[in-house]
Amino acid sequence: MAEEEDDPTFDEEFDDSGNGAEAGHGKRKRLFSKELRCMMYGFGDDQNPYTESVDILEDLVIEFITEMTHKAMSIGRQGRVQVEDIVFLIRKDPRKFARVKDLLTMNEELKRARKAFDEANYGS
Amino acid sequence: MADPARMKPPASTAPEPKPEESEENEVGNKGPTGSEASAESTSQQTVKDDEKSEHAKEATTGEDEEEGTSGLNAPANKKLKVDPEKKKEKKQKVDEDEIQKMQVLVSSFSEEQLNRYEMYRRSAFPKAAIKRLIQSITGTSVSQNVVIAMSGISKVFAGEIVEEALDVCEKWGDTPPLQPKHMREAVRRLKSRDQIPNTKYKRTFFH
Repeated sequence: MAEEEDDPTFDEEFDDSGNGAEAGHGKRKRLFSKELRCMMYGFGDDQNPYTESVDILEDLVIEFITEMTHKAMSIGRQGRVQVEDIVFLIRKDPRKFARVKDLLTMNEELKRARKAFDEANYGS
Repeated sequence: MADPARMKPPASTAPEPKPEESEENEVGNKGPTGSEASAESTSQQTVKDDEKSEHAKEATTGEDEEEGTSGLNAPANKKLKVDPEKKKEKKQKVDEDEIQKMQVLVSSFSEEQLNRYEMYRRSAFPKAAIKRLIQSITGTSVSQNVVIAMSGISKVFAGEIVEEALDVCEKWGDTPPLQPKHMREAVRRLKSRDQIPNTKYKRTFFH
């Protein structure tokens, strides 16, 4: 019968998607599970957060990065992602803007300090 | 990759600090320890700045506005020379106050609070994975600064969601650990505040 022919394909679908009911990116390997767990604890969650919550958060973060990358590619120099584009996109959000500014400033300072340290060593 | 739960002794971080790790490693030093390079102490200061930099910036912008309105009497050239120096001094003083307050606060943490604070500072996304992800989307290579910026704002983004989810959890009378329903409600709320970027569906005004 027609129903019986449909059933095996139906079963196959359910067997393949073993990653639960999350539609979309369920088949990709989890990239940030360990780091996200530590992060959630740091932000106020329990010491052992639920795996499903970590998965949801990972999907959200990957979607966020994807969106930002696409937006950055469409402004400034087309097809490339540059820091200025990211800073421009983030300008309306005070927290993220301040964070990016601090990170980049700190990176510059550390680079300068490392360079000075190496030159001092080179002399002695 | 380093396990963020393990605390490294201060001496071992001196020779080759990476930008993100050295920032997070400062948690172990409650006050300035005898570190060799002076850069370490400046990075400690900037690290403490970083913590409450928003509040510091808000405070200084408040003060800047006052200065601007009162400075209309003096000649324009002289005012321009004096103002940036005054602003810088005030900003440094505000930063130093912030650093002091942070030190007092951190020194009075309980053990559990210290653990959580350490996780908060040390946790970060792995740069290699972020770089791979961005490069798989663009198809071209990206600079290191882009990876640093992107992982930084991703962490802030994750924090916003977790904080909103904790609000939802408390409002609904539940306890942590957070459940997927809290996360989804948090996302719904942030979306209505336009804090989650979405280029898939165009917004229509009237339906």
